[in-house]
Parts: sequence; C-alpha cells; structure tokens
Amino acid sequence: MTEIEARKEAASRSARLDAVFAALADPTRRAIIERLSRSEARVTEVAEPFNMSLNAVSKHIRVLEASGVVERHRKGRDHILSINTRSLDEVDGWIERTRRYWEQRLDAMERLLRELKKDHKLGRKDRRHGSR
Amino acid sequence: MVRGDTTGPTVPTVQVRRRVRATAEQIFDLWTKPDLMVRWMSPYPGAVDCKASCDLRPGGAFSLVMSSEQSSREVSGTYVEVDRPRKLVFTWIGPLTNNVNTLVTVELHPRGDETDLVLTHERLPTPAIVEGHTRGWANILDHLADAASKDF
Repeated sequence: MTEIEARKEAASRSARLDAVFAALADPTRRAIIERLSRSEARVTEVAEPFNMSLNAVSKHIRVLEASGVVERHRKGRDHILSINTRSLDEVDGWIERTRRYWEQRLDAMERLLRELKKDHKLGRKDRRHGSR
Repeated sequence: MVRGDTTGPTVPTVQVRRRVRATAEQIFDLWTKPDLMVRWMSPYPGAVDCKASCDLRPGGAFSLVMSSEQSSREVSGTYVEVDRPRKLVFTWIGPLTNNVNTLVTVELHPRGDETDLVLTHERLPTPAIVEGHTRGWANILDHLADAASKDF
C-alpha cells in the first residue's frame, strides 16, 4: 500500500468510526443495539418497548444503518434488523489503543517523577552547578 | 442490565486510574508546564526534539510538537477547565485520535502522600461526565461479544 492509500484508508476508517460514535451517542439507539445484540428482530419488535412512535424509532434505526452498526434484510414481508459486529470491533479497537496510549504515557510520567525526586535528593548545591 | 445505564448522556469512554507517589500539585505541573510536558508526553522514542507551549486558562491553547529527522507530529487542544491541583479538562486532537477532536479530563484526588489520578478520554465531548459510564459501555460490548460468538 502506498502512503496515500494508507492515509485514505485511515481517513475512511476514522470517518466510519465517527459515524459509529455519533450513532452510539444516543440512549435510544444504544438500547436498540442492546436489544439486537440479544437476537435479530423485526422493526416493530425493536420499536415495541419504546414509549415513542414507530416513526421516531425508525429515524433512530436509519441512523444506526447509516453508521453501519445495524443491517437490514428482508425475510418475506418482514424487515429484519441485525447487528454488524465488525463495526463495533473498530470501536473496541479505538478504546484499546487509547487505553494503551495513556497507560504508557502514565508510565513515562511516573518515571519522570522518580527522576525528579532523585535530582531533588542530590541537594541544592549540586543543582546550582547542575547540567540543566 | 444496560437499560438502566442508557438514560445517561453516555458515550464510549476510556478511563485509566492510577495511584501515583506524588502530590496533586506536582502531578498537575507535569501536565501543564511546557518544560516538564516535553519530558514525558511524547509517545515517539525516536523523536529528537519535542516542543510544548501552553496558555493555561479556559479557552487557552496548548500544543506539543514532536519531530525526528524524518517527520513531525503534533498534538494540540484547548483547555476547557483549569482547576489546579484538582482537575484539568482539555480538548485533544492528534494522531491517536485520527485528528478528530476528543475530550480529556484529568482528576487528581489526594490520598495521604499519594494521589489518585483518574483520566477520562471521550471520543465525543459531552457536557456532563457521569461516573459509571465505562461500565455501561463495557456491558454493551459484552453483549455484543456474546452475540458475535453465537453467530460464528
């Protein structure tokens, strides 16, 4: 892969991830995901527990479909919704990378703290002539 | 189980907690003084030069530029809340976030000679940060992991 291709790939991954995060930012949509994570379901089944119109729930479902988190297929006359777990793996990946990043930075922060304490113990006289 | 959590302003959140052998003031300075920031914040071991600048006030900007002979990377953001030595909130944009704006909150709780550092990194900034978000989110992912293993 060339560098430009790699960058395009990273950009589109980032855009997908943003769409997924935006989709997940709403409590109704997260509840829909939770419902579908138990099993696939018809649109009407998904809408049933919510105290809102079918139309309002459908709007949320469309946002989830656009983000790639939810997929729709037809079984006879029914529209069946299911979760695309791959899109959520990317979210998992971001969470994992971010956690690792901060764990490593905090390790470095603690190393520096130990270094600074050691410097401090050397005493003021040394520091006046110190290397920094 | 997740239903109860879904009413809050939850977004996927990363939270890291650590007990550090230092005072909250010492730690706060490590996060906000450019000459100290450059000594631990850069994740690139090959970076030969690291420069930091910060305007430490709400609305003020900071940046950390790490350069090697081949390339240069930058992390930057804006301070949202500056409350030395308890709390620091700032937006964060850089290679880790795919150059998308995110929100980082660093809270420092003194525990005798030590300090509990709680870092929260959110992909989407939300006005309210409620304890327990990560768990609600983790539950969703657990459900999905179960769903996925059933599928394959």
